[in-house]
Amino acid sequence: MDEVILRFLWIYTWFVLIATIGLGLYGIAVKPNMLKKIISLTILGDTANVFMIYVGYRAVYPIKPPVLWTMNPSKEVLENFASQITDPVPPALVITAIVINMAITILITFLAIQAYRLYGTLDSRKISKLRG
Amino acid sequence: MSKKNLVITSITLTSIVLGLIISLGVLGPIPLTSIRPLGLFYALFMANRNITIEVFPLIVNPGNFWAASTEAITAILWDYRGLDTLFETSVFFFAIIGSIALFRFTEKEEHEIRKKTHENHASEGKYLGLSLITKTITKIILFTIIVVSAAIALHGQLTPGGGFQGGSAFAVAPLLAIAALSRFYLDDIGFKKNTMLLLRTMGLLIIALLAIIPVVAGIGSWQAYIMQNQPKEWAIIQLFPPKGLGVLLGSLVYYNIAELLAVGAGFTIIFILLSIPEEFYKKIIEKEGVEHG
Repeated sequence: MDEVILRFLWIYTWFVLIATIGLGLYGIAVKPNMLKKIISLTILGDTANVFMIYVGYRAVYPIKPPVLWTMNPSKEVLENFASQITDPVPPALVITAIVINMAITILITFLAIQAYRLYGTLDSRKISKLRG
Repeated sequence: MSKKNLVITSITLTSIVLGLIISLGVLGPIPLTSIRPLGLFYALFMANRNITIEVFPLIVNPGNFWAASTEAITAILWDYRGLDTLFETSVFFFAIIGSIALFRFTEKEEHEIRKKTHENHASEGKYLGLSLITKTITKIILFTIIVVSAAIALHGQLTPGGGFQGGSAFAVAPLLAIAALSRFYLDDIGFKKNTMLLLRTMGLLIIALLAIIPVVAGIGSWQAYIMQNQPKEWAIIQLFPPKGLGVLLGSLVYYNIAELLAVGAGFTIIFILLSIPEEFYKKIIEKEGVEHG
C-alpha cells in the first residue's frame, strides 16, 4: 500500500512540475508586459532546475549527498556509499544552469529598465510599433 | 477560437501528454530506487582508484578517471567537465559587462550623485539608512555573512558547497548593506564599482591560468592534462600538492576561491548599479541625447 501511495505522489509531482513549466510558457507567450515575461522566464528556468534535480533523486531511504567521508575507502564502504547516495550528475548540471539563468535575467532586466527609460513603456506591443 | 485560447489549449495538452509519457517510465522507473550508471561511475571514480579497479573490472586503466575529491559534485564541476564550467563563467562575465555598458557612469557623475543625495537628505532633516540599532546589527551580520561565504567556498572540495554557492551567499552582504546602510556605505568600506570589476576580472584570470598551467608545464611531454586536479602518478610534471595544512587540496580549492571572487564581485556590481537613483540616469540620457543630436 505504501508503495502505491509513494508512486502516486511521485507521478503527481511530475504533473505539477510540467504544469508549472506550462504556466511559464503561457506567461512568456501571452503576457504583453516585458516585466511579466521576465518573471515567467525565471519561473520556467527554476522549474526546469527542480525537474532536473527530481530526475536524479531516489525514494528509498536512507538518502545521502554524494560526499565521501574518507579518501581511502574500503570496498564495503564504497558499496554502502553507492547504495545510499543521490545521483551527482543532475546537481552538477543544475548549478551551471542557475548561474547562466541569473546572468541572462540580469542582462534582460537591465535591457528592460533601459527600454522603459527611453520609451516610457514596457508593453511589447507598443515597443514593437516604434520606429527609429 | 481566439489566439489566447489556442495557446492555453496547446500548452495544457502538451503538459498532459508529457506527464503521461513520464509516468509510463520514460525517465526511468518511478520512483527511482538506485542511481543511474553514469552517476555511479562519477561517484565511485572520485574515490580511491585501487578499489574502483575491483568494482569496474572492464574499464582499461581506471586511474585516468580518478578525480581525487571526496565531493562528487565539485569533482564533476571542476574536473570532469571543467572546460564547460570555465566557459560558463565567461558567459556570466559577459552578461555583467553588458549590464555595465548599459548603465555606465563616470567618477564625476558618481561624485555628483553622492553630493546631491546628501544635500536632499540634509534638507529634509533625515539621515541616510535606517535607525542606529538596525545599522549596528547589520554591520555585525555583514561580517558573519562574509565569513560564512568564505567557509562555504574554502571547504568546497570536502563538503557540499563551492565557489558558486559561496559567491551567491557573499552577494547577500552588499544587498543588505544597501537596504540598511545606504549605497554610500559600500563606497566607504571599499566596495566600489571599479574595485569589484578588478576583483572579478582577477577571479576569471586565475581560473584561466590554473587551467592552462598544467598544459604549459607539460610542453615537451605528452602527460599534461588541462584543468588537472590532483597530480597523476604517471605524469612527469606534478602540480598542485594533494595535501597541505592537514586537508585535501588539489587544484579544486583554488578554482573555488577564484570563483568566489568572480561571482561575489559580479553580483555586487549589479546591486551597486541598480541602487543608483533613477533621476540621475534620466539626466545622463537627456545629456547624451543633446550631445548626439
